[in-house]
Amino acid sequence: MTLKFEAWKAFEDIYDVLGNQEFQEALKRASTNNQAKVAKLLHERPELLGFAEEVRDLKRRSIEALGELIGKAMESLERAAAKPYYAGTAEEARTLIGKIIGSGKRIVMSKSMAATEIGLRSYLESLGNEVWETDLGEFLIQLEGSKPMHAIAPAVHMTREKASTLVAEKIKVQISRGSVEETVSAVRRFLRDKITTADVGISGANALAADTGAIVLVENESNIRLVTSTPPVHVAVVPVDKIVPTLVDAFKVAIVQAAYAGLYPPTYINIIAGPSSTADIEQVRVYGAQGPRELHVILLDNGRLKASRDPALKEQLYCIRCGRCQFECPVWVHTANTWGGPTYGGPMGIVWTAITLDPVEAGKLSYLCLGCGRCDEACPMNINISRELRHLKTLATQALRRS
Amino acid sequence: MLDPLQIIRLVEDNMRAHGLPFPAPRESLYSWAKPLNLPEKGSPMIYTGGLYQLTPYIVSVVESLSKTEDLRLTSMAFRASRLLSALGLSGLVVRPKADVASYIERVLRSIVELLREAGVKVAYAYEDDMYSGVILYDLGLDSLFKENAVKVYRALKSRGAEVIITVDPHTTHIMRSVYPKYVEGYDLKVKSYLEVLAETGFKVERRDRGDIVIHDPCLYARFESIIEQPRTLLGNAGFKVLEPRRSGRMTYCCGGPIEGLAPKIAKTIAKTRLSELAEKPGVIVTMCPICYANLKAVSDEKVEIEDIALLLRG
Repeated sequence: MTLKFEAWKAFEDIYDVLGNQEFQEALKRASTNNQAKVAKLLHERPELLGFAEEVRDLKRRSIEALGELIGKAMESLERAAAKPYYAGTAEEARTLIGKIIGSGKRIVMSKSMAATEIGLRSYLESLGNEVWETDLGEFLIQLEGSKPMHAIAPAVHMTREKASTLVAEKIKVQISRGSVEETVSAVRRFLRDKITTADVGISGANALAADTGAIVLVENESNIRLVTSTPPVHVAVVPVDKIVPTLVDAFKVAIVQAAYAGLYPPTYINIIAGPSSTADIEQVRVYGAQGPRELHVILLDNGRLKASRDPALKEQLYCIRCGRCQFECPVWVHTANTWGGPTYGGPMGIVWTAITLDPVEAGKLSYLCLGCGRCDEACPMNINISRELRHLKTLATQALRRS
Repeated sequence: MLDPLQIIRLVEDNMRAHGLPFPAPRESLYSWAKPLNLPEKGSPMIYTGGLYQLTPYIVSVVESLSKTEDLRLTSMAFRASRLLSALGLSGLVVRPKADVASYIERVLRSIVELLREAGVKVAYAYEDDMYSGVILYDLGLDSLFKENAVKVYRALKSRGAEVIITVDPHTTHIMRSVYPKYVEGYDLKVKSYLEVLAETGFKVERRDRGDIVIHDPCLYARFESIIEQPRTLLGNAGFKVLEPRRSGRMTYCCGGPIEGLAPKIAKTIAKTRLSELAEKPGVIVTMCPICYANLKAVSDEKVEIEDIALLLRG
């Protein structure tokens, strides 16, 4: 299985959603609400701006030392009794995870863009596993058979009417059309059974601390808590750009990500430093207490280390995936992630597509960039996204002229 | 979505043939200034870079190309190339939008008059007011952009320019922040006429001229920090400046930059912005010909849009 992407085909989807009233309405509501929410939050809590500045600085330092941090993280993970793996490509990551999990398993996943990036769900299904997304938005995406439409809010393009109808049809339950409460409750009941009986839980990570091997995950739904603590095996897919020097750094990344996504304080921040264990009997450590017995951590490179040495793309690795640039982009608010590539979308997403998949195809997508710079202005990491997109355009233009 | 390669070829061919990105006569860039008889050498020198003057041609090109924009890109690419090759790529005949063209002339002359009233005597290079290459840069045609930039720089220097006064945000940005990266030894000082007027403390002795809603162009507001100057100038000219929901550094794009490649998306964005601007009463003021043309294209007669130079000139 190879992941291929053709920009020209994606433009068909973009034009389709332009004419889709429901899609446009849902996006308009979401982006208007989000812009106002974040602006108010940052106004009321100026200390968050200070945190963002600290994270900017520590991300810059981390990316400069990326190779070194990967090595440190591997050592720390081992010390924490986790099993670390380095995956150079998406293919390698899939194979590694396939070997860990095997077939005939029930797997629950918390939302992870890295998992989407490597095509994990469909790969595990192809091995004969049953796989369920547990983040509500991502679950809706799974039911719809589409891709996440925003970094934090995957089902941002669905109205309440659409979501309730979809859930009612797909999991065969009675839901009053348009009732968010009933939809959430039906999904909770449906997934609870899957989670408690799952063999494996898969998560991503907001950050990973190189000093301790601790993974930090931020959320509101509590599905990450359940997925990472209920099944006996936890597999975390961690893109290497998420590695930061210390646990405190990792915590700050999570805080800033949540704040700029408009969710502050986040309901939960999870710190996972190794599999669950107990030393309550005679101070002898035994793994697999109430939580997982095994923790596998896949450090996913897939173009990132190379990008950290490319002056034109390096800055993108500071990205904390808050999705701020998406909600602020005048093009994205009409296209959502139909514009950006198979996994990521919008301004930052196109650059991620370039890093992890194909710079020329990403460059073709950049032709829709206005160069207006709202993304640059909105980015808490001060990434010059519009400059990166223009750089990608030059690559696409060179390729087209040669063709 | 139009086929980017077709647009790239159209622009490249035209640039190579006559130094302009679209089929427009060279004279269209400087004919507006003929009656003004400005000195052809010296400094400060007005440098328009042609964006205002090309706008009526851009509007026409976009109109004719839009006809090939199709929902399905696969068939689109085919159709676009058929249409363009039938016309002959560089032989594409473009009639400038007459109403836009005369409007643009008035804007440019007003700018010179405003500067004159503020006591700033400017030179103008006429035939050497060449196209800046904004669209080459936006399309990622970097080597052609560089080649053109060197020519523009040399021409301006040979006319004695040390300070150039620009008239639109795209040219201001490209000359001030992009040229230095592409032209070796670049030493032109670049100022927008709005900055020059604001520096002189320019004031029109008029009062109570009503409400206006300001539409900051992205490049002025976010890339060149030109935010306060137009507000001060408009206030000094007797207007009450109203801010739309998104303004200043967080201003919202008119959609214009992608009108040549994705007219439908550009129009959708323009409508979003126009409805936001129309939430407040008063004339909508633009500072960029692309903003003007794009907002105008999606507005009805109830909405009034005016370039800042004409409002200041009053």
